[in-house]
Amino acid sequence: MDFVENKPNGSIDSDHVTISEKVAAKALDQAFIEEQKRIFKNSWVPVCHESELPEPYDFRTSSIGNENVIVCRAPDGKINALLNVCPHRGMLIERRPQGSFLEGQASGNPKRITCMFHAWQFDMRGNCVYVAREKEGYQDRFCKDDAGLRRLRCEVNFGGFVWVNMNDQPAVFLEEWAGAAFSSIQSQISSEPLEVVHYHKEVVETGYQELMSQGLSSIDNDTDATIFDYGHLVTTQGSADNQDAKKGKSFPSPNAASCTSVRIFPGFAFNLDGPTLHVSTITPLNDKQVMIEHRGLAPQADNKEARHLRSKYYNEKFGPFRLQELSEPEQNELDSVKANSWYTHYYDEWLRWMDKHPNGETRIVDLPTSRSKNGEVDEHSGLSGPHIVVVGASHAGVAFVDKVRKNGFVGRLTVFDRQVGGPMERPPLSKGFLLGGGETVESKSLLRQKKWYKNNRIKLKTQSNVETIDTKKKTVTVSSGDVINYDNLVIASGAIPRELPDTQGMGNAFTLRQPSDANAIRQAANNSDTVVIIGGGYIGLEVAASLRKKEMTVTVIEAAERILARVASKPLADRLTKLHEDNGVQVLTGVGVDSINAEAGIFESVTLTSGEKIVGDMLITGIGVFPDSTLAASAGIETQRKDGGAILVDEAMRTSEKDVFAVGDVALRRDQLLAIESVHNAQETAAVAAAAVTGSIAPTIQTPWFWSDQYDVKLQSVGVVPINDDDVYQVARPGKREGAVSFWSYRGDDLVAVEVVNDPATYMEARQCLDTKQSPDPEQISNPSFSPIDSGGARS
Amino acid sequence: MDSESNDMENNSSADIERKIEKTIYQAALALDKNNWADWFKLCDDSFFYSITSFSPEISKDMTYFSGDKKELIGLMEMLPKHNTDHSPLHRHTSVYTIDVSDDGKTAESVSSVVIYQNMLDGINSHLDSGESRLFVIGKYHDKFLINDGVPKFINRETKIDNRRLDKGSHWPL
Repeated sequence: MDFVENKPNGSIDSDHVTISEKVAAKALDQAFIEEQKRIFKNSWVPVCHESELPEPYDFRTSSIGNENVIVCRAPDGKINALLNVCPHRGMLIERRPQGSFLEGQASGNPKRITCMFHAWQFDMRGNCVYVAREKEGYQDRFCKDDAGLRRLRCEVNFGGFVWVNMNDQPAVFLEEWAGAAFSSIQSQISSEPLEVVHYHKEVVETGYQELMSQGLSSIDNDTDATIFDYGHLVTTQGSADNQDAKKGKSFPSPNAASCTSVRIFPGFAFNLDGPTLHVSTITPLNDKQVMIEHRGLAPQADNKEARHLRSKYYNEKFGPFRLQELSEPEQNELDSVKANSWYTHYYDEWLRWMDKHPNGETRIVDLPTSRSKNGEVDEHSGLSGPHIVVVGASHAGVAFVDKVRKNGFVGRLTVFDRQVGGPMERPPLSKGFLLGGGETVESKSLLRQKKWYKNNRIKLKTQSNVETIDTKKKTVTVSSGDVINYDNLVIASGAIPRELPDTQGMGNAFTLRQPSDANAIRQAANNSDTVVIIGGGYIGLEVAASLRKKEMTVTVIEAAERILARVASKPLADRLTKLHEDNGVQVLTGVGVDSINAEAGIFESVTLTSGEKIVGDMLITGIGVFPDSTLAASAGIETQRKDGGAILVDEAMRTSEKDVFAVGDVALRRDQLLAIESVHNAQETAAVAAAAVTGSIAPTIQTPWFWSDQYDVKLQSVGVVPINDDDVYQVARPGKREGAVSFWSYRGDDLVAVEVVNDPATYMEARQCLDTKQSPDPEQISNPSFSPIDSGGARS
Repeated sequence: MDSESNDMENNSSADIERKIEKTIYQAALALDKNNWADWFKLCDDSFFYSITSFSPEISKDMTYFSGDKKELIGLMEMLPKHNTDHSPLHRHTSVYTIDVSDDGKTAESVSSVVIYQNMLDGINSHLDSGESRLFVIGKYHDKFLINDGVPKFINRETKIDNRRLDKGSHWPL
């Protein structure tokens, strides 16, 4: 037999040793060991794909942090991860990379994992089912029930990958760890079963951090990059994704052309590149060597032609015999700045895991596992301690509970939502959602899946309206009659769309705010040919674009002299007006509504102040919103006016009541004149409030940003364009690609806002300028070859 | 068939086998020198090349590289524009079997190949250059077209056993 049970001196022959023996023999750097212990043994690691063990009793072996792991499929089809070490003498059990336990082996019975040394046997869940000479050898001193293989945290997710965490109590659940980062490709990689069709590995002479750094340096001007919590990064080449998706050219189509890379900390990359999914996973061997495993995946249902096409593409891009990247001159300074920005984020996360972060933050925290002996215990979550109640499951409300948990809050969290079905993503409601045909709200539109609330021990109460707040007793009364105590209350009740008096109770007349509104519009649009939209703001224009795609006749009426009069610059408004007109929308500006007419209670037409009558099958009013602060005002919490308006808050989002916070559209800081209604504002105010509640460091305030999709135009803006300010002017900057342009708003020499059309790279530059208070020279900004980053101008 | 013609046929078959063996070794020499032009001279216009492997890790046959003659010529023309590892490869080839078809127009052969890499520009060429390492092991599965007694490659499948492929040259082995 080739294997030896013990090698007392641990020595390895110097010649003809495998890489694993070399690693085992090498005196590992203490810092490397610490890193393995703190990061890799606490992170979620994708060890293989479920297709690598397709049948019951199939297995696959791997290693994490120098610990041997075996993943096997149980008879019920469930995949389990176990430590591949016999509890008897600590010996490695299964040595093959992959195989099946269905048939018996020379030293093992069928359907059993058998240690070759003393024949202890385990089932696919790791339970010990046989100990040799159990009674004779151990009498009653030992029972096999006490000797199972150590089970590891294991989940199958994100395209069928098997994720393992060596920590029994991971700091975060897998969905929270990587769900947001995967959101951009999740639907594509999960739409049909995949299988691994390419596999190779390589050992590179570098540390894994350097490897990540090299990968990041490939970010170029055409790359749209988004940083996610926990050190993840998502990059998208160009803005082709939406277009590809529309044309049915997104993965898994063999004609897919878009390119999105999801890089999961500390070094796992999921590259959705054209028709292929390439996944690279790292296993550090020592501080200077990393093994990289490359997997290429394709749909199981591929025909021969599609498989060949993907294989060819994969080999050229990721195969071991691919050509190396083209020799290029040194990257320009801009690229380095961007790459450094992403790497700083990555390195920040590394410091947190290693407990070396300057702010003293650490990712390795234990969630509570047992009930406190003192205080109230929530039956739903099993948690005790302080209770935070959130009124309104808007973007802000959900962002708050997310942030407060991430900040380490371990008490009870309850969210009351008056809507049905769970908190929804609002931005899609005026866009792609309207194009759907069903009568129900798709679960993919949910802000968070139900499981997320369960995993984070958040009690979500839908169809529950909070009717009163008693700030003295610190209670809220819910529509069910229940009175709930709180330690902190967070009001995230959002805003209510303004309605025109004539439209109240009128059939086929709608506003758009909630999913139910969008659903009603969607149903009505399916039976209508013409629509009249009152209001040329973003909501009205996005709805107009969506309904034009349904080939409806669309008229937009705006009382101001131009569309987007309160929120965008004139050059951008002119461009969007032309866009809509080119797409067949009738845009009427500078004209008011005299009356809204109905026939038998159903909308029939709009009479304009000019006397013109616009007839339509349905009416949508999008003339703005007002804060939903009635509940707060009734409770004596200070609002803008006695009869309502926004809830006034301090810079920590605290209201006039010290235990009550307000976030999102319903809140207005006392030192600000203008409330900004956007997803960014919701998330940021939520993060500020969460920091105040938990005593954490307040997040860095970013320049406000916003985005909108209309037809094939992606609009992104950063900063707030001052309106009716004669000192503000715009400079147009052509983009590098056809149709790309940006409008840079200046007051004097100071940059105040940038609006970008179809140019994500410029948007990132503009955001960097505004976040770092840089003002590129307005005389030069119209020159596309002029780099706005670090060009010298500092904002006053 | 009389005994004389039988002998002639046997000699002819042995001759073809020798020519095929020689062609395989000439190919190895040309490939070792990165002399793609000489290698292509040994290949018919219908030549198709692939590098394949079986992965016990995922229990699948895989194709790592493939291309017809036109694609291979295009690849070779691109090579100077790319970063490549210039460490020379040294092929040790042994022809195991040659089977000539009954009509003498085609043949198939299986050869063992062991490829060593002689390090030149590694991570630290000061230390690494000059060292030889085992690079790849596998077999050549070749098919030939025989015209006027001259065998030319019409297909080569390089079946390698390696699935760990570290830095190295990215051209036909």
